[in-house]
Parts: sequence; structure tokens; C-alpha cells
Amino acid sequence: MRMVVVGLLMIGFASIAYADVTPQQLELFRKVQPSDDAGVAQASKLAKELSARNDLQSLTALRAMKGASGLGKNWLLGLANAAQNKRPASKADLESFLSSANEDSEARYTVFRWLTDGDAEARNQWLSRMTEDPSPEIRYEAIAKALEPAELPEAALRSLLDSARQPEQVTAIIERLDKAGVKIDQAKHFGFLTQWKFIGPFDNVGSDKFNTVYPVEPDYVANKLADSYPAKAGAVTWQSESSSDREGAVDLAKLYNNEKGCIVYGVAEVNSPSEVACELRVGCINAQKLWVNGELVIANEVYHTGMQVDQYVAQIKLKAGVNRILIKVCQNEQKDAWAQRYIFQARICDSTGKALALK
Amino acid sequence: MAKQLRFLNWLALTGGILFSANVLAEDWPQFRGPYAGGASSKAKLPDAFDGEAGTNIAWRVPIPGRSVGGAIVVGDQVITTTSDGLEQRRIRLLSYDAATGKQQWEQQLVARGRPYCHPTSANAAPTPASDGKHVVAFFSSNDIACTDLQGNLLWYRSLASDFPKAGNDVGMSASPTIVDGVVIVQIECQGDSFALGVSVTDGTTVWKQERPRKANWASPTSVVLPSGKSAVVMQSSQDLVAVNPSDGKELWKIEMGCSTTPSTTVANGRLIVPSGGLTALDLSSAGAPSKLWFENKLNSTACSPLVDNDKIYVVNRTVLVCGDLFTGKVLWQLRIPDANQIWSSPVIAGNRLYLFSMDGTCAVISLDGQEGKVEKTNKLGDEVLGSPAVSGDAMYVRGAQNLWKISAK
Repeated sequence: MRMVVVGLLMIGFASIAYADVTPQQLELFRKVQPSDDAGVAQASKLAKELSARNDLQSLTALRAMKGASGLGKNWLLGLANAAQNKRPASKADLESFLSSANEDSEARYTVFRWLTDGDAEARNQWLSRMTEDPSPEIRYEAIAKALEPAELPEAALRSLLDSARQPEQVTAIIERLDKAGVKIDQAKHFGFLTQWKFIGPFDNVGSDKFNTVYPVEPDYVANKLADSYPAKAGAVTWQSESSSDREGAVDLAKLYNNEKGCIVYGVAEVNSPSEVACELRVGCINAQKLWVNGELVIANEVYHTGMQVDQYVAQIKLKAGVNRILIKVCQNEQKDAWAQRYIFQARICDSTGKALALK
Repeated sequence: MAKQLRFLNWLALTGGILFSANVLAEDWPQFRGPYAGGASSKAKLPDAFDGEAGTNIAWRVPIPGRSVGGAIVVGDQVITTTSDGLEQRRIRLLSYDAATGKQQWEQQLVARGRPYCHPTSANAAPTPASDGKHVVAFFSSNDIACTDLQGNLLWYRSLASDFPKAGNDVGMSASPTIVDGVVIVQIECQGDSFALGVSVTDGTTVWKQERPRKANWASPTSVVLPSGKSAVVMQSSQDLVAVNPSDGKELWKIEMGCSTTPSTTVANGRLIVPSGGLTALDLSSAGAPSKLWFENKLNSTACSPLVDNDKIYVVNRTVLVCGDLFTGKVLWQLRIPDANQIWSSPVIAGNRLYLFSMDGTCAVISLDGQEGKVEKTNKLGDEVLGSPAVSGDAMYVRGAQNLWKISAK
């Protein structure tokens, strides 16, 4: 069914004839990919031609954003902005575009801004009915607006919590509910993984063992983890840890007595009722790798440059039944006071950030 | 004789009084002005201003979102960036009429790289750059866009898409520079770490040079060599390197520990390099420059050093330190009253140095006497982290929330 819908959309797009630009020209922008110098040069040449012709309509470019590559969308957005600077589309046309949930989310938010920047009344009117909008940007602003009153009934807060996806916004709603006496399991709401087993510390003196394959890794891939492994200071065994942090954070510094120059492995399991495409989202202030069912999905050799919810995101697929997650967290030997944390958090959610029903 | 003239011309281009005279009433096209000197010696700016009362504020324009970079001035346009919206992913380039503050145009894209940064910073951290024909906006997320002066998008690159491990969640901030038709960006972090030369005409890669994989926020500095040719100097905690902007070929390299926040200044044939103090290097000979002096008391915490009238000014936390350009000898120190954190590199106009604290307090320091003296302390009423731009007899200050024109007129 999805394939049919996508096919129809593509046919529909290809059949649209614009007076100001051809579908083939728009396609050149839509398909720009990373590390494609030839594509950038072609797109630049065409952008200059269209600019010189001076007849491109902003909404033509915005309509073409649907289904374009991320880079292609920015090319089209740039053309649309320039066109809007010169020949603003009519308010009615802009309102019609914004009202169409079928258009590209980023394009719709752009139109929202064109319509409402500097017009607080219009902004409030639009946002009052957009807390469920498919555009994450519009939804975020609509929920922020809805949260402005100091007092909101519990039902309204619960409804906003159900709609909200942006982590700080979700946390703010949970805190307001908490103040109203309504307890929400925040870690569960986000889908944070809280039950782990860890083993370590393994050696990372010199901070050069990020790619060192300790036996835990092949054993995990082969699904035959041993009870004990030789490590930095002799044999080590697995220890269970349950995070009670509301954001699912696991403090490895506390667990491993502020060990420096080390690596700790952690495993977690989630039980999915069915096969599902979803996302593994991680926050970690240390270098880290993550595997799902034996496949490496995240690798970031970065130490102490910040940590936040959903810092690193990987598209993954869970299978029906038990899924195995392995994390490798590396600590370096920096002595600065701000470089002592050894901590991570991980969650599984859908592409919008909503937790899945996993066990 | 021709050689002498060439040398004098080179001195003029590499800073000092002649340089200052050159930029009077002209464009301020990049971070710290035309030649990364940061001074505009003959501009007549008011010593007193007040953001709330409007005293000597020609105009103020509120801009949604947040920016910690500076504004640039190109002809009658004042151009700045901002980042706003969800996760500061909306990245914007805006142009205003310098006379009235009226918005002329806006470009708006979506960050494809990581927009995350320390709350002090912003995705819109680097100062944009212009060669008088193109405007290049670069962001912490490693998105880079080029427009003409009318706001038409000429090209766009997501360097985070090209190099996925480029970036730093504290926030990147090195500003681009445009030399000989090439945009140079310096992206140094623990992941993909490199300098890139990009054609200002169409955005294609001209060259790429690997850089140390360590966090660095200093900006590349354009210089003119005794031969009359351009070079771009880049610093890191491990080296100071000069490259040919046209092809990225290394001209010389010195292994030395440079600071990773304040950037190198060029003046009177000298490179003034923040390096846990200041190192002065002699640019007048061919090949790698030789060391003239090092002075650890001329330590610059965050602001880039400033040179004017044969004196060097650095800001060590909240103390302004003045040194002799030729010897490095400290001449005087002045604690800035009421200053909290200072990120904004100062500028000099006339005989006054203007130094903004992060809270928007601006100390105006008279440089008339043997020692610096705080003449006025002004409140802008906006966070200021970017360096001011001076053009004509006006100072354009990009506050975190507003763009300000400060002028007696």
C-alpha cells in the first residue's frame, strides 16, 4: 500500500508543469547528495540562471521539497526564500500551503514563519490548532505556546505530553504534572533502557583502544558471552545495574570508582512484539560504540564535548522477540574538572521520538 | 626601488596605521575586519551610549533566535546570521540597510549537521564573510551557504553530510575567510578534522587539508606575504601553518602550541599568535617566519589580540593588557570594572578601545595617556559575544538577540 502511495505521489510530481521552472530542473536540486561536487556545480549554475530569469515562484520551489534529499531541500528552500524576498506569494496561497499536511514539513514551517513572523496574533491563531501537526517544528512551537499559561488542567497537560516529542519539552510537561501531583515514569515515557549488565574496566590508557576489539565484542556478535574476561587489572565479571535516573542515565564513573583510561561494556535486552523499524538514540559524554543484534550502528570517538538526550541517533530494525544491545563506553585520562564524567543514556523510540511498547 | 615599494605596500597591507587608514569608512567584510586587525583608527564613535534609553543608538533590530558571531558591513548593507527554532536548526542570513536598519532580505535554511552547542554559544556562532560580491554564512553545524548581495542563493554545502564526524557538541565557531576566490573554513575537532578551500563561485571543493584531531575554535587569518601573494594562517594546539589559499599547499609550518580560542592577528609585518601568552613572528623573510619574542604576560583568554599604533592589546579574563608590538614588553594593565565574562574581541576607533562583556556592558577605554583609562561604562541591554564591526562613524554590534547601530549621528 505504501509503495502504491509513493508511486502515485511521484507520478503526480512528475506530471506537474510549472510555468517558471521545469520538473527536470527541480529534480536536479532534489537529488543533490553529499560529496557530490558535480551536483553542487550543476545546482549552482542552475540557481544562478533561475535567479537571473527572476520568475521562479516561492511555492513552486517549496512544493518540490517533498521527497527531496536533505541537501536538495536546502537548495530549494534557498531558491524559495529568494523568490519570496522579491515576489511574495499571496497570503491566501501561503495559508493554503500551510494548511496542507501533505506538503513537506520543513517547507510548511517556512511558510508558517513567512505568515506569522512579526504578527503575534496570526501566530497564536495558527498555533492554537497545531499541537498535533506532523511538522516537528510546528508541533514544538504549538506545544510551547500551549504551555505558556502558568496553570493548566491535568487533562490538558496529559494531552500535551502525548503530543510532545522534543525531550526538553517532554521533561518540562512531566515536571508540571509532577507539581500537580501526577507522577509520570519519565524514563519509561521516553523509552530509556534502564536494565543493564556491565563488565570492565578494560584498558584504554593512551585513549587509543577505541577500535581495539576486546573478546567481548566477537563473543557478543556470536551470542556466546562468557561470564568472565581478562581485563585491565585481572579477570572481571558482569554486574547488573538498574538506572533509577529519570533520563535513564547510567553513571559508570560511580560504578567503576572514577576509573580513567578505561573501557566498559554493557549489554541490554529488549523484547519487541513484532519486527519494527525504529531508532536507537544515545546521549554520552565519552567515546562510544553501540551494536544491535550484532550490527554496529553507532560509533563516535569523541570525549567530553557535551551530552544530551538524543545526541546520537541510529535507524535500526528490531526483530520480533529478544533483541540484544551492546554498548562500549570509553573513558580517557583528561584531568580537567569538567572531563571527569563517565556516563551515558540510551533509548529506543519511533522516528518521531515516541517510545515503543517494548519489554 | 621597486623592491622597496613592494615592501612598503606589503607593510600597508599587513596592518598598522596604514591599514587602519585604509579601512576607514569602508567595508567590514569578515571577523575582525578587512585584514583581521580589528581596528578602525579614525572612526568617530560616541564614548557614551545606552541601549535602554536609546542614547546614541541609531537603530536596533530585534532578531529571533540567537547569535554569538559578529555582523559584517558590505557597502550599505549590514549582514548577520541567526539560528532559531527547534534545536536551533533554522539557520538564517539576514541583510539590513545600514542607514535605517530596515531588513532587505533573508535567507533561511535547515541545519543538516549537528546544531548542538553549549548554552553560551549558538549554531550561529561564526561571523559571515564577504568579498564584496558574495556573502558566505557558516554555522556550527557545518552548513555553509553563499548568496549574492541581493540574497539569491548561489550555492550550499552541508560539510557535516560530506564529513559526518566533523563537529563538536560544545559548538564550533571558527569564522570563514575569503581569499583569492576561495572560501577557507577550518573545522578542527576530535572527529573529521580538516581545513577546506571552497570555490566562492560555485561551492565546489578546491582543496582539503587534514588538521589535528583536537577541538579548536580559532579562525583562519588571511595575510599578505612579502612576495605580495596571499596566504592563510591556521593555528592549533599543535601547529601554526600557512597555506596557499588557491590550492591549499603548505607554505610553511611551525610546530608550536597555539591557543585554541583567540585567533592570530597580523600587523606591521608580524604575526601575533596567541600561544599561552603571545608569540610574535617575523613575516618579512621568505619561508617559515622566525620568532621575534614571546611574552606570557600577554595572555589572551578568549578575545583575539588587537594591534594599533604599535601597541598590542589582549584581554586576560577581565584585565586589558597593553604591550609593545616590537618587544612584547607589558606597558600597562587595566582591570575592567563591572566586567563578567568577555568573549567579544575589542575594536579601536579613534583613541578609544571598545570592549564588550558578555552581559552587554561596554567599557570605553581612552588610549590617550601613558596608560589606559576607563572613560565610560555603557549598558547595551543585550548579550554580546561577537566582535563589533566598525564602518564609517558607526559601530554595528550583533547582540545575541538584536542588531545595534551605535552612532552619534
